[in-house]
Amino acid sequence: MSWIKYIEKPVVKEPIAIVGSPGLRSVGKIVVDYLIEELKPRLVAELYSKHFPILYQTSPSYVSHPDYPGQAGTLLKGRQVELPKVEFHLLTNPELLITKGYHANFNGQYEVAHKILDFYQEFGVKRMIVIAGYGREGKDVCCAATDLELIKELKKYDIDIGYEGPFYGFSGLVFGLGMLREIKGICLFGKTQPSLEDPEYPDPKAAKAVLETLSRMLNLTIDLSKLEKES
Amino acid sequence: MTMQFKIYKEPELRDPYMVTGLPGVGYVAKLSVDYLIKELKAELFEELYSFSFPPYVLIKKDGTVELLKNEFYYWKDIKSKNDLIIFAGNTQAISPEGQYEISNEVLNRAEKFKVRKLFATAAYVTGRYLEKPRVYGAATEPELVEELKKYDVLPMDAGSISGTNGLLFGLAKLRRIQSVCLLSETPGYMTPSGRVLADVKAAQALLEVLSKMLDIKIDMKPLEQEAKMAEDFVQKMEELERRWVEEMRKSVSPPPKDIYL
Repeated sequence: MSWIKYIEKPVVKEPIAIVGSPGLRSVGKIVVDYLIEELKPRLVAELYSKHFPILYQTSPSYVSHPDYPGQAGTLLKGRQVELPKVEFHLLTNPELLITKGYHANFNGQYEVAHKILDFYQEFGVKRMIVIAGYGREGKDVCCAATDLELIKELKKYDIDIGYEGPFYGFSGLVFGLGMLREIKGICLFGKTQPSLEDPEYPDPKAAKAVLETLSRMLNLTIDLSKLEKES
Repeated sequence: MTMQFKIYKEPELRDPYMVTGLPGVGYVAKLSVDYLIKELKAELFEELYSFSFPPYVLIKKDGTVELLKNEFYYWKDIKSKNDLIIFAGNTQAISPEGQYEISNEVLNRAEKFKVRKLFATAAYVTGRYLEKPRVYGAATEPELVEELKKYDVLPMDAGSISGTNGLLFGLAKLRRIQSVCLLSETPGYMTPSGRVLADVKAAQALLEVLSKMLDIKIDMKPLEQEAKMAEDFVQKMEELERRWVEEMRKSVSPPPKDIYL
């Protein structure tokens, strides 16, 4: 079971969803966290699920297995009591629905992705941009998309394809299953060095490269100096 | 909702047979049915998506994304007495619950289309190299087992057939759908990095039997060429692995005697 907690129901036209989750070297998570911190969108809804562990038995967390469901529980953040969740933040100009993802265990991966897409359809989302990392030789940022037209469109921004293979977990499924709902999606992959000991160890440099590309595409003015200090 | 379906067409079929094969050991079943689909130019009529599939999507070479899915194809031919339904896919459910759910969906369609006989394909793992893979068989009725002998299929007396490929066969018996399972011998090789090698030769052996049983003609030449290429590749891999072991042995040989530590 997964459910949405609505904080407000704003009037929106056709927001673009931005999706990131704690995947490879946390590239997607850093980008989404940074966007939320810098652009100060409003938290409009949260998604909770009985399939969200706080302790994963798999490493990295997004590679799930039916035999290893993990442990449920409560998180404490700055004395605030919290459950693991997905957050939806809305920016009005431009209209962006920034989605801070969370990986469900095996039993919930598809269910959660579909619930996210239900919510997107409710909000009139027709396009999404998914952020993740990739661990191969190539350009600092490469792309994938739900159709060839979009890939052509991305060439205008000097972004080309460069990754072939599986795309695991929350962001991969939201991106791919969007096709069944006619939600078009592009994915921006930031080049990073995979870490065997800690696959989700943050790589702010890779995140910065993706943020630069994203700002260019969406005409956003974002001060990247804080990330520069970290990288 | 734990499954989704995308229906493209509702074909009308004449006394169809059904062939099933999903990726398993050596990709024997998948290679066989994929080749059948390609050669017969079978038409896709339905796709199935399950929550029990592995949780990822595939980014293809051209940068577009492909979902994990199972598919139903059909083939009609005026020369043939029986039309054909082929069940294929790029993955299989990884939990037993998911495998049961999907197998039942497949058999629901078998009942709906009044399938005359179901042919499940699978791999028979030997763990050793084979010059010419043999094909084993099992069936839901004793007469069918007898019939298998006509096609030089070795009866499989005991053992287990795991995964959806095997389960479909067993559940077919529960539903009283006549069913045959063909298993082609495969070494079940893996590379040192754990990648499973696709066994084209095993698929070729299986298809030779299956096409005779279905009484259809398919051009085996491209597959034979592929099998030859795959065999050369396996030999090269073995040579590389042999050299690698040799190098390893050298690198752990004792230091020369005049060095004192």
